[in-house]
Amino acid sequence: MRGYLIGKIAQAFLTLLFVLVFNFFLFRVMPGDPAAILLRGSAAFNPETLEAVRQDLGLDQPLPEQFVTYMGDALTFNFGDSFFESGRPVGEVISAAVWPTILLVGTATLASAAIGLLIGIYGGWRRGSKFDVGSLSFTLFVYAMPEFWFGILVLMAFSGGVGPFPALFPTGGYETAASDLTGIDHFADVLNHMVLPFFVLTVAYLGEYALIMRNSLIDVVGDDFIQTARAKGVREKQILWRHAVPNALLPTITLVFLSIGFIFSGAITIEYVFSWPGLGWLTVQAIEHKDYPLLQALFLVFSVAVIVANLIADILYSYLDPRVRAA
Amino acid sequence: MKRRTRFQMAIVLMLAGAFASAAMAQAALAQTTGATGATGQGDDEKVVFTWGSAGETSSLNPMSGYLATDFYFWAPQYHLLINFAQKDFSAEPSLATDVEVSDDSMTFTYTIRDDLTWSDGVPVTSEDVAYTLNLYKNNNAYLPSPYLSQIDGDVVATDPTHVTFTTANPTSLYSGKVPYMYDYILPKHIFEEVEKGNCPDGQDPCTPKGFDNIPSVGSGPFYISDAKPGEFVRMVKNPYWEGPDPHIDEIVYRQFRNNDALVEALKAGEIDFAYDLTSPNLFNSLKNEPDIGTVAAQVPLFDYFNMNTGSAYGPETGDFKRHGDGHPALTDPVVRKAIRMAIDSQTLVDKVWLGYATPGTTVIPPVSAAGARWQPTGDEVIAWDIDGANQLLEDAGYEDTDGDGIREMPADSIDPGRPLEFRYFVRSNDQTTIDAAPFIQGWLEDIGIKTDVEAVTSTRLGDIENAGEFDLAHWGWFPDIDPDTALGWFICDARPPDGSAYDNDDSYYCNPEYDELYKQQRAELDLDKRWDIVHQMEQILYEDSPYVILWYSPLLEAWRTDTFTGYKPQPEPNGDALENYGGISDVWLSLRPVSEGSGAAAQTRGIPAGVWIAIVLAVVAIVAFVILRRRRVGEEDI
Repeated sequence: MRGYLIGKIAQAFLTLLFVLVFNFFLFRVMPGDPAAILLRGSAAFNPETLEAVRQDLGLDQPLPEQFVTYMGDALTFNFGDSFFESGRPVGEVISAAVWPTILLVGTATLASAAIGLLIGIYGGWRRGSKFDVGSLSFTLFVYAMPEFWFGILVLMAFSGGVGPFPALFPTGGYETAASDLTGIDHFADVLNHMVLPFFVLTVAYLGEYALIMRNSLIDVVGDDFIQTARAKGVREKQILWRHAVPNALLPTITLVFLSIGFIFSGAITIEYVFSWPGLGWLTVQAIEHKDYPLLQALFLVFSVAVIVANLIADILYSYLDPRVRAA
Repeated sequence: MKRRTRFQMAIVLMLAGAFASAAMAQAALAQTTGATGATGQGDDEKVVFTWGSAGETSSLNPMSGYLATDFYFWAPQYHLLINFAQKDFSAEPSLATDVEVSDDSMTFTYTIRDDLTWSDGVPVTSEDVAYTLNLYKNNNAYLPSPYLSQIDGDVVATDPTHVTFTTANPTSLYSGKVPYMYDYILPKHIFEEVEKGNCPDGQDPCTPKGFDNIPSVGSGPFYISDAKPGEFVRMVKNPYWEGPDPHIDEIVYRQFRNNDALVEALKAGEIDFAYDLTSPNLFNSLKNEPDIGTVAAQVPLFDYFNMNTGSAYGPETGDFKRHGDGHPALTDPVVRKAIRMAIDSQTLVDKVWLGYATPGTTVIPPVSAAGARWQPTGDEVIAWDIDGANQLLEDAGYEDTDGDGIREMPADSIDPGRPLEFRYFVRSNDQTTIDAAPFIQGWLEDIGIKTDVEAVTSTRLGDIENAGEFDLAHWGWFPDIDPDTALGWFICDARPPDGSAYDNDDSYYCNPEYDELYKQQRAELDLDKRWDIVHQMEQILYEDSPYVILWYSPLLEAWRTDTFTGYKPQPEPNGDALENYGGISDVWLSLRPVSEGSGAAAQTRGIPAGVWIAIVLAVVAIVAFVILRRRRVGEEDI
């Protein structure tokens, strides 16, 4: 077991190192000069100012020199200054968006996993029942539904107020702008801003969990040990929760932990619709502006999150499934 | 017994939670009803003007900011030397009250006001002016430094109310007759310390370009008190401002990510003004809303159909080396004129902008420095005329010799027999360029020109144009009010030199006669004579058609009519109602609540804090109940 753990951790570190190197080159092959992107359309778009911008951004250095500087800085967790936010440290830019991202996407992921798994469990257990047919249609619909479209509808209904829907919640943002709220009032203000994006994300995510759980449970229900349990006279609830669900959960664990890893990537479309200051939209802006330092750091954060979540899933798997340990 | 106790405890917990929730909810509701301001902390009487847009900020420091939205936080707090008049963009004194120009038009002396005070109580002097201009110049500040490029050496403060500088060549641009120098004057005592690495907020590292300038020190009626990048910027009154007292206490800018949310926020009263709505459909949706005013404001913004006039064929002057593979037919002004004749700007305005834009003609928009614009009249007008365009091409020898509907180049041309098939790029991040493409493609087909339309990002198109690997492209410009910058985009030296370095002449237009006129207008001190030269240049561009100006884009704005009044369009009567060009604009002094109380800070929306506590407690209680109940059931089953 110890060897297994050490192997997995070493693998994770190697992957991280690869990502660190890969990130540097990945963004530099994208078309476009970051200096030109910043200034095009302004009176400052001329060779002299462009050269000044390149110097400020460190882009006038030869590529190997930039790479050495980048690696040295990255190993000391210094990711430099953002290009498009004109010199704001990358660490500060990312940390400002991390908490809103975790709060929204994290809670929505957990809620959708909990609700989705429950729907999948009850649907799979009573296959063919009215609940199963209804929940299957619902989950297929929300799984296929564009989040953006649903988000706009929810925004119009519950922020703008359409027909019978009350205009209850704010139109966007993380908190009321420049409101100076503190303590419990601030807490409530953030929750009020979170309600609609949380709802949309939860609904959009739960379909995947429900479908996978349902299928997995249907597979397990047909297994011999379930028949044996029934033959022994074990109560149906007992069979479901003690025998069927734990076995059916295995495939969903990977999904849940992968989703947890992707929490840090944010939810681009929802952040866009609800003006939520998260990492997803920040990434879009960084790509648009070819903001190398910000992109490098963001993709490192995303990679670390996914690698760590996978590592945890692997370790957990080995506890839940003895076959993995044995292998 | 033990199991039963746990179960009972869970029920008690849940009930207690529910009771507590109800009690707190009531208390909270009562509390919220009593509060009228956003803060609920006793500043209900503050008059707060809240505006929003989907525009990003880059930096609130004029040393490094480069986006249009940044200007909106500099204008209420910093002075320009010469300002843009609200009525018509003409020059008006601001921080400088007078400009003295030497006979050779190479030495300029500005008289500086002595009655202004920075928001931290330090007087504004000529030292601030000289220091700021030198700081911009020496550090290549992105937006301010190009306006100082003609200054030779340092700007010097000769006494507390005068600064002087010289230029390498005679010029009219610093004469104060036009508002050219778009350089906000900064507080020397702050930025001098920043240069030494001592930022007022302890920011580290601290450099003039990296300094976030929050809070700021301004000389106008407002200064920035706090901001959260990507979310909001708040400006408050300068306590040392001695001009007309503003009717508002705070300006709050709220950044949205999309225009749908912006519109909903305006309708719900979360904001007082929605700036730059970009979508004519959304704009239309507000037209019949109660208590909402709208304007499709005219601003200096245009979209153009760019033609590669010779990246691969133009004269190799200066640093320019022929590069790229633009279609040789576009080097011929006849072909470009025929293309201009084939494009119906009015239809594009009607279909793409639902009538809110203005059909385009010349590169100097209707909204520009008073007197600078030339408009074709009578025979000068190149009107939409498909038959005329066909005839023009026919007469010049561009015939469809193989009957496939596509014309070929004449026998005596650079590339005889080559079909007129052009690559036509639109921008995937600008919907209007995509919407216009089918119309333009159809019209060009009508005159025997085939186009292959491809959508690429702005970044990619920048690279493509730079490499000269395009024939036609649709893009837009936001030119300065003074025509010098826009006219400078077409001089030979502004062509991207070799495919690796950028520059502004993206049509690769090069005409020595035009270049000579460009120099003349820069040096001409008499404004009327300068405009005469500028008009000649506009006419040359119109006839040579490196660009077809498709339309002058509008700025779509909407505001609540039941909260604030006193908006001042610049220029009158249909200009931008809120964000004026220049330094301290009149709008921030004239804006006032419609009635007492109507300018209160926006209410927070949603469920009151007490109810949230109740919900949280109820959820905790339910979860506890379910867990304990499941455990009880499990234990009973064993």
